[in-house]
Amino acid sequence: MEGEGIPTTQISLIREHTEIIRPPRALWVPFELGRPLGAPENPVFQRRVLLTALDLLDAPEGPVLVDFPDEAPEDTAGADKNPAGWSCPVSFASEIRQVTDIERLRAALNREVADLRPWYDLSIEKYDRSAVVEFGPDAALELLATFASGKKLEIPDANFSLATALRLASQDLKAFYFEAVTAQPGPVLPGSSEFSQWFWQETAASRILRTVKERCLKEADESLRKTGALLLIPLDQS
Amino acid sequence: MARLDRMPEPMRSHLAKLPCPSFKNQPWVSGQPLAHRRVSLISTAGLQRRGDRPFEGMSGDYRVIPGDTKAKDLVMTHISTNFDRTGFQRDWNVVFPLDRLRELAIEGIIESVAAYHYSFMGATDPAEMEPAARNLVRLLKGDRVDAVLLVPV
Repeated sequence: MEGEGIPTTQISLIREHTEIIRPPRALWVPFELGRPLGAPENPVFQRRVLLTALDLLDAPEGPVLVDFPDEAPEDTAGADKNPAGWSCPVSFASEIRQVTDIERLRAALNREVADLRPWYDLSIEKYDRSAVVEFGPDAALELLATFASGKKLEIPDANFSLATALRLASQDLKAFYFEAVTAQPGPVLPGSSEFSQWFWQETAASRILRTVKERCLKEADESLRKTGALLLIPLDQS
Repeated sequence: MARLDRMPEPMRSHLAKLPCPSFKNQPWVSGQPLAHRRVSLISTAGLQRRGDRPFEGMSGDYRVIPGDTKAKDLVMTHISTNFDRTGFQRDWNVVFPLDRLRELAIEGIIESVAAYHYSFMGATDPAEMEPAARNLVRLLKGDRVDAVLLVPV
């Protein structure tokens, strides 16, 4: 773009990559992946990051790679750094830990979704927004649990491949869980890593997703195998 | 924490081994002071308007995000599961700072916000994105954009 006459500036999350690529202007930020502006619900800090990146447009020559001087501010809404920590008021762990039978796991997932559903509905009412894209909780549950059980299933939307449908349904189910638990009463909201730990270690949803992954890996279809290998479970939870 | 040396394995090795393109030329164009610039955002977070086609894979295509898009109408279908999405769920500006950009325009710190913004699927091979990026140049010029902020995720 720069070569075609449009000035560009950018935020960089992995400094080592930017050092190789050498774009005209880059602001490296020491923030968590997924948060290039640093902190949600902190417009003052976001504005500082944004302005620092835009100010690089006035640099006299380049390429320039500048380090943002500050860490992301403590996430006061999240609890990653709170000694008391966050715990989900609705506990699922004890009833699903020992379950291996897929139908019982499906029943446990049904109960989780039913328990969280009113909080998810309240979250949408409160924020007028949801990150759920294509699969509401019931549709995600149906698709993922049916696939996990090994039954033949109809692709719910002809516009998607089955691999894409499984990926979107897993992302949507996780988004549903996050939005539901953040609407529940409690002293603190979950931080990103606390939510991740809870979701991947203590819910039937994650057990179903691990089963979906195992089935994907055994499929002949390459896109399903790739989805199972890379796109359902984070690397640090595999 | 996006510091490779502090990142836990296996993410650290995964990111450290990702191939990055290098370029012989370092193009550089200067322009007007910031207060006279029209700014467009280009995100690699796999963002799309609700109802638009989800990103299926890594084919280098992009989605158009009109400047009057509301937070509730923007969703994320990035294929990676290895980054935090809860920040975006709480506040879209942590990924796509359109509200902050609008504020800068109202205050006269930038001249204006572009009519259109764009999003790619970030895990894509940059070579796959190049044809689309070249097309975007014409679209950006048609929108009178003279400053682009590239935002990763």
